[in-house]
Amino acid sequence: MPFALANDLALDSAMTLNQAGVGCDMRIKLLSGPGCDRLRDMGFCEQLQVRKLSNGRNLICSVCGTRLAISRELAEQVLVAPLA
Amino acid sequence: MSAPHAPEAIALVGNPNAGKTTLFNALTKSIERVGNYAGVTVSVKEGEMFTPHGQKLRVLDLPGCYSLRAHSPDEKVARDALTGQIDGVPKPALAVCVVDASALELHLNLVLHVIELGLPVVIALNMVDVAEKQGLRLDPAKLSEELGVPVVPIQANAGKGLLDLKQAIRHPFPPAAESPWAHEQADPEPARRAMVARLCELAVRRPDAHQQTLSDKLDGVFLHPVLGWVSFLAIMFAVFWSIFSFAHYPMEWIETGLGGLGKWVEGLMPDGDLRSLLVDGIISGVGGVLVFLPQIVLLFLFIGLLESSGYMARAAFLMDGLMAKAGLSGKSFLPLFSSHACAIPGVMATRTIDSAKERLVTIFIAPWMSCSARLPVYFLLVPLLLDGKEGSWKQALILFGIYATGILSAFVVSRVLRGRLGPDTQPNHFMLELPLYRGPQWSYILRHVTDRAWAFVAKAGTVILGLSILLWALSTYPKTDGGNKGDQLAHSAMGRMGAVIEPVVKPLGFDGRTGTAILTSFAAREVFNTTMGVIFNVEESDDKEATRGALRDKLAAATWPDGRLLFTPLTVVSLIVFYIYALQCLPTTAVVAREANSWKWAAGQFVFMGGFAYVASLLVFQLGHLFGLG
Repeated sequence: MPFALANDLALDSAMTLNQAGVGCDMRIKLLSGPGCDRLRDMGFCEQLQVRKLSNGRNLICSVCGTRLAISRELAEQVLVAPLA
Repeated sequence: MSAPHAPEAIALVGNPNAGKTTLFNALTKSIERVGNYAGVTVSVKEGEMFTPHGQKLRVLDLPGCYSLRAHSPDEKVARDALTGQIDGVPKPALAVCVVDASALELHLNLVLHVIELGLPVVIALNMVDVAEKQGLRLDPAKLSEELGVPVVPIQANAGKGLLDLKQAIRHPFPPAAESPWAHEQADPEPARRAMVARLCELAVRRPDAHQQTLSDKLDGVFLHPVLGWVSFLAIMFAVFWSIFSFAHYPMEWIETGLGGLGKWVEGLMPDGDLRSLLVDGIISGVGGVLVFLPQIVLLFLFIGLLESSGYMARAAFLMDGLMAKAGLSGKSFLPLFSSHACAIPGVMATRTIDSAKERLVTIFIAPWMSCSARLPVYFLLVPLLLDGKEGSWKQALILFGIYATGILSAFVVSRVLRGRLGPDTQPNHFMLELPLYRGPQWSYILRHVTDRAWAFVAKAGTVILGLSILLWALSTYPKTDGGNKGDQLAHSAMGRMGAVIEPVVKPLGFDGRTGTAILTSFAAREVFNTTMGVIFNVEESDDKEATRGALRDKLAAATWPDGRLLFTPLTVVSLIVFYIYALQCLPTTAVVAREANSWKWAAGQFVFMGGFAYVASLLVFQLGHLFGLG
């Protein structure tokens, strides 16, 4: 588990990408889990903006204008928070 | 200081869908296949280009990859090619990183990986038109300054910026850039990400609002939980229907032409062996296969259209759930779909699958997606079930049933096999980029279709022609004195083979002639038509028409020695079932052995499928007989 600042209040209000609502703009806060290397390679990096376009067995997200489909297991490893 | 030996090589590297192959085609003027779906390039393509100064360079088009970590075999190919570890592929002296300007934040990661390798790098900033449309403001000069590598904006599909790019890659190559972010770090990953973030802040200005594009609107239909499936089925059905109905007229023209040719030759020559060779052997044998050219063309045309538009990624997304029930994932969709045209590119396309076990299973079941080589056999036999009329909706329904049988059996076997192989050492999850929809790139599609059509005709003109002559010779010699044509056939080499094989295939409902035809079609499935044509034409003393319809009439009238009808509906179904399941393609077995890295796997596949075909055919015939169906 990557080191997370204890007093990072924003992290406490983070939710997984699965829990996030469809159509809201979020910012990726943290990636943790076995698939995070692969996620980062595809474009899910910390600090980037993401918008969930649809739910389901596989989620569709928009990151920097690119549409990416990822499975629910992977989405569980992405922690996001609403844009301030 | 250039030595007079082999020209240097440059490699095109980048994310999938960045436009590497488009750039490759533009630089080398050769037209390779372009598909708007991650992973169409699965091996290294080589070409040559000339710089403005007339210097020759070799260009390597590498498979798309998201990083050099190499999770799937095609990414591994890209990494190995860059480090010069592939036999027969020269180590590149320069890497051109093809980057999608409209998604720079995502593509720079790979660029940093490549710079870390110590290769000289030139960044080709592709799709600047798309970036402009999205309202992005890019600063290539700043990017170049920060990284220390040349950055050239281009638009590969319109040929823009290519001269500037060629100027940037002429000799002497720019020096390899430093990678300061990677120094003194155990894990350069966070430093790399920080560098990407810094570069984007300096060189990319993206409008904040998420924009609804036309692709999004289309995806509202194509990815809708209900409408998505409806449109998927509608598209598959439309493709299927078009292939089997549009092709009807061209096929008739070809047939009429061949029939006329046969009659003309027959009129020109005296009766005898040479005439028989030309009409019964060559025209009948090769013609029986050539007549399927329209269908082959249509099949590849539709696959090309679907791939280049970007729809295939959506289809893979939709199919993921269903394929999971078969133990596979959506990534297996394209390889299996392509296998309906030809299993060889289908098997190679499995290189995009991350999970090694899923990949092996996909390779194993790919031949059960009825390929285009089986079309001649199906088209010969199916009308026998329907009183010889072609082109009706009943025929389409039966054909649909044939394809469905292959696909469903494949999924069942896939599930069982996947279960037996056990779980992966590392879990793999579904991840797919959905590229923007694009209009068809006609020049590439038409060139691709022409290539495949030509390959089909070339195969007919070489393998099938050679086999036609051989089969004709085997059916004609050795001769007996006197006796009718039937006796002569029985006496010939082919007839004797048939006699030997008859006891083996009789429980399936076939006679020796059919058995021989099955045996010969292990060389190429289309040869079944050729062999049947040769045997039945050589056998007939009159009526030397070389058309399929005439052949079918002869089959319909064929009998066992005791007078029973040979091709009863049950026998025909049994024969069709055999062809659905048997693996009768040596090139496929060779590619499977190479891609699965195991001759045992390929041999096991061949034996399993052959055995399954025999047993299935046996069951169909015997059970049908038991129930009094034929």
